[in-house]
Amino acid sequence: MSQTVVLVEKLNLSYKSLHAVQDVSFSVEAGEILAVIGQNGSGKTSTVECIEGLRKPDSGWIRVFGKDPWRHRGEVYREMGVQLQEAEYPLKIRVEELCRVYASFYERPADWNLLLTQMGLDHKRKTPVHKLSGGERQRLTVLLALMGLPKLLILDELTTGLDPEARQNMWISLGKIRESGVAVIMVSHYLDEVEALADKILYLERGKQQFFGTVQGFREYAKSRIPCEKRKEAISLEKLYLMIAPKTTGLTMEGIV
Amino acid sequence: MKSFGAVCKMELKLFMRDFFSFFFALVFPVAMLLLFGSIFGNAPVSDGAEVRMMDICVPAYCVMVTGVTGLMSLPLTLAGYKERKIYKRFDATPVGKRAVMLAQVLANLLMTLAGILILLAAGRLIYRIEMKGGFLPVFLCILLSTAAMFSMGFLFTAVGRDMKGTTLLCYFFYFIMLFLSGATMPDMLFPDSVKKISAFLPMTYAVDLMQGVSGGDSLGSHGTELLVLGAVTVVCTVVGAGFYRRKDWA
Repeated sequence: MSQTVVLVEKLNLSYKSLHAVQDVSFSVEAGEILAVIGQNGSGKTSTVECIEGLRKPDSGWIRVFGKDPWRHRGEVYREMGVQLQEAEYPLKIRVEELCRVYASFYERPADWNLLLTQMGLDHKRKTPVHKLSGGERQRLTVLLALMGLPKLLILDELTTGLDPEARQNMWISLGKIRESGVAVIMVSHYLDEVEALADKILYLERGKQQFFGTVQGFREYAKSRIPCEKRKEAISLEKLYLMIAPKTTGLTMEGIV
Repeated sequence: MKSFGAVCKMELKLFMRDFFSFFFALVFPVAMLLLFGSIFGNAPVSDGAEVRMMDICVPAYCVMVTGVTGLMSLPLTLAGYKERKIYKRFDATPVGKRAVMLAQVLANLLMTLAGILILLAAGRLIYRIEMKGGFLPVFLCILLSTAAMFSMGFLFTAVGRDMKGTTLLCYFFYFIMLFLSGATMPDMLFPDSVKKISAFLPMTYAVDLMQGVSGGDSLGSHGTELLVLGAVTVVCTVVGAGFYRRKDWA
């Protein structure tokens, strides 16, 4: 019996004149990975930030573990781990100090010494966080998101900045996390990652929800939007995505050469 | 509570690692004491007076410590956290930004008290300065001065659009008040024109209050100073909080 962890209905969010999120509805079950995809500025981060209780929606209904994350932030965060797209930490704080502070936030924190080893950060314990490389910092943010042994994990651009090997390891870890019954929402620009990991896809275009459903369902939806003769070319999810995503003018060489 | 304690500990550590905060709150006031002590020695404030220059310098330097933490360390830390979205990072955990900000205020308060304690100990050891005022009234004056300085710093972080804006406001008001309020140079040395400016600076009232009460005056005889500092605290805190509420600072 699957259990609904996140429920979103007709979510709307505006910034001044920009209607960033329009009537978005979806749900995430325990043990399921939902990938949120779409171009830059399509409302992915805005949508997840509403679920994270960091932004107040203009209208709509959000429930995380049956609670409104904006009004019951503290309670929701006991079981929700979040990795933000852009996150910085206090200057001069060291890796293990940050881990210790984060561990104090939870009644039963993860064994962060073990996590440090697993994430390949064991030798960086005494390093100030601002001196870590991009990939190391990314691994640390994921580690901190796991600190409370969450039942819902939200990852905004999980593998950005990671080298191929670290990316592969992250995929394997995420698979294990899902198996343990954790619900995962991941925002990603990497369609190979989505193809390898996701159970469901939420596809946004300029703030509007275009598709929500299974990965197979997304393939069929995407194929229905492209002309018959081109369907054969669209084998990978990435190809399909590129065919349906709104066209932006690419960089032309005019004016450069 | 466990998490709040851990955040406070982290903020205290970070305070000590910040050279500026550490030096100007804990070391610099004692250095000033030694410098002015070597100039004035045991000279009285005026011929035949019982009060020595050093007796009024120490309470003034106490106010200087509250200025360092309240107008520099605290607001610059807050502005940095805001600009670098560190508050947002903590908002994405069970503690939330308000607890972190409170921990920062508490850490700065503790360091203010530590700085003052070091100063008073040095004053007593080197120049045998005895406070005539009782512990409680003097302590209350320190707390009120700290509250006024902290709330001004808080307002600067709310008004400043970014780190640069807040830094500018902090430096401007900190240095003006430091030199024109009597916190470094005794205000009896100022010409009348400068004294007119001093009357507009909240720190002047903190210095007068500290000097008076540590010299044995009752709190009641410094009603104006208490009123001004109390009003500054309330107004700056309320206006600052209003700005924070209106702005999206996640």
